[in-house]
Amino acid sequence: MTSRLPSQAKGGFNFDNHVRNAAMEGKGAALPKATKTGTTIVGLIYKDGVVLGADTRATAGPIVADKNCEKIHYLAPNMYCCGAGTAADTEMTTSLISSQLELHRLATGRQARIVTAMTLLKQMLFKYQGHIGAALILGGVDISGPQLYTIYPHGSTDKLPYVTMGSGSLNAMSVFESRWTPNMDRESAIELVKDAIEAGIFNDLGSGSNVDVVVLTKDKVDVLRNYARPNERGVKEASYVFRRGTTQVLKTSIRDMVDIKETVESIATSTAMEVDAV
Amino acid sequence: MSLKPGEVNLGTSIMAVEFKGGVIIGADSRTTTGSYIANRVTDKLTEVHDTIYCCRSGSAADTQAVADIVHYYLQMYAVQNGAPTVPLAASLFQELCYQNKDNLMAGIIVAGWDKELGGSVWNIPLGGSLHRQPFAIGGSGSTYIYGYCDAQFKDDMSREECIDFVKNSLALAMARDGSSGGVIRMAVITEKGVERIFIPGNELPVHWEG
Amino acid sequence: MEYNGGAVVAMVGKNCVAIACDKRLGVQAMTISTEFKKIFQATPKTYLGLPGLATDVQTLAEKFRFKINMYKLKEEREIEPRTLAHLVSSTLYERRFGPWFTEPVVAGLDKNNNPFICNTDTIGCINFAKDFVVSGTSTNQLYGMCESLWEPDLEPEDLFETISQALMNAVDRDCLAGWGAEVVVITPDKIITRTLKSRMD
Repeated sequence: MTSRLPSQAKGGFNFDNHVRNAAMEGKGAALPKATKTGTTIVGLIYKDGVVLGADTRATAGPIVADKNCEKIHYLAPNMYCCGAGTAADTEMTTSLISSQLELHRLATGRQARIVTAMTLLKQMLFKYQGHIGAALILGGVDISGPQLYTIYPHGSTDKLPYVTMGSGSLNAMSVFESRWTPNMDRESAIELVKDAIEAGIFNDLGSGSNVDVVVLTKDKVDVLRNYARPNERGVKEASYVFRRGTTQVLKTSIRDMVDIKETVESIATSTAMEVDAV
Repeated sequence: MSLKPGEVNLGTSIMAVEFKGGVIIGADSRTTTGSYIANRVTDKLTEVHDTIYCCRSGSAADTQAVADIVHYYLQMYAVQNGAPTVPLAASLFQELCYQNKDNLMAGIIVAGWDKELGGSVWNIPLGGSLHRQPFAIGGSGSTYIYGYCDAQFKDDMSREECIDFVKNSLALAMARDGSSGGVIRMAVITEKGVERIFIPGNELPVHWEG
Repeated sequence: MEYNGGAVVAMVGKNCVAIACDKRLGVQAMTISTEFKKIFQATPKTYLGLPGLATDVQTLAEKFRFKINMYKLKEEREIEPRTLAHLVSSTLYERRFGPWFTEPVVAGLDKNNNPFICNTDTIGCINFAKDFVVSGTSTNQLYGMCESLWEPDLEPEDLFETISQALMNAVDRDCLAGWGAEVVVITPDKIITRTLKSRMD
């Protein structure tokens, strides 16, 4: 008897809906806008390692979908990746490559190199010819020292000492070009990253909210989530809670949660069935 | 065939010249996305083997991917068969560029030194044809220096003459082409290996500036 | 997404969550049902809201019912809301280049009875929120209502009032949503489902 159960997904992309969606678009039903990270993301190399920074606004068209999203993704203990572009793509691509790196680490028995992650990312993005909208800044420290790469959605990469990406990249780059110097110390590097992101937050419409910073050195990683919060909401003047009973209800049904406790009661007291019974 | 929106472009001026003893290759350092300069210190001279390099122009993603594939093939070839020759590398590039011509935008100049030919320069423009030339220029900036190069080039130049030739040509191209600029990167490839030369933006040869 | 219409909103309260939806099903301008609920129970303490194209709402509701049941069989425990959110995300991302026309909302209490809400876009980007999430055709109106009315640590009774008023007033400004509303408040000891009296125009 053949099973008619829907099969579990085997992983990878499924193009089944494509024909139907194309037909719908022809009839005028437009695809809803995917969440993009408008974004300002930056990275720079300083004396002891790499500092990565990002804003925290995620947009769906002109609306802010998430006021405090995380754009600096974990790839490996020694590398993190900032993502700009289509939010789902940056999230999924970085977690896919993170898994591949973990398997690589287990197979080789050593810390992964930044170029490995860069090659995995660029070859995947090139394969999809830019349709995966992920623009990434990859930074980390490995045996060859601190390294910083930008990876564009079409699969090209650049290795640079300081980089910016996203809609706010021009704003942030102007800050970097004026103030970056080689071998900065940790405090000035973090301050410069914060200022660059703030330039994006305040001047670019697609970027906003808070500043996230991650500092990577040879020995440790500091994740400074919400390092700066220059856009805290003011205190609400009044409470808008309604009087209980305001809303008119037609029907109420209550389902009580029943706490089911399972206990095992042994019935037989004799040990005749036990293995070690003499 | 034009770049897709948002795709990174190596606007570029690239050049390779054969001289007595090897080749000299040179390139500008500008990578653009639209009108924004994404990288102003790009290295467009990419190693595919110890003494074989390629100069990349066109789409950054396409040329990086193609160069990586050729680099891989040449590594395998070297391990199995010994050092590859420049025409072999050029042939590999040609195969990739021609067979995928509909999906690629890549203008590549392959140049290097090998034991059989000495120095040689091979030009592979957009369609995937292969041309051996004594000198080759490519990229958007090259259109401005065809006349200059034709007038200045002579056979059997010495190393210094060649360096000046490349430097001046690229400087002129960078001055006129918006998609080229930054610094000049050059490499001198001979039997002894590769010597890199770097000329920062403020030390470029200055011609008529108006 | 605007073909059938609909709206879903979820909010966090003090040790409770609430999720609410309208009940309209239309074919562009014509309303064909006022009993089309968009929230589905995933586990005893978690609900899944699916606004958007009705066929995808129904298909995904069934697909998730299957996946959640399989999870329970394999893991011998109920799926946690955070895990369900990631399950929803990967199910949607699988169709990256031919997406489902829905933006799901997950709301529930985890095993320690901590409230959890999130929503995703059509291709699975999760937005974890600490206050409220909105989805459907009335998102702009719902954002405005929720941003003004929500405050932290609302008791279940007050949370019910807040989410109901937010939903009702938002969908009153949306032609494609409304025609009835259902609100589910999830607390550690009970789940209260209420059908609201609303404008039927």
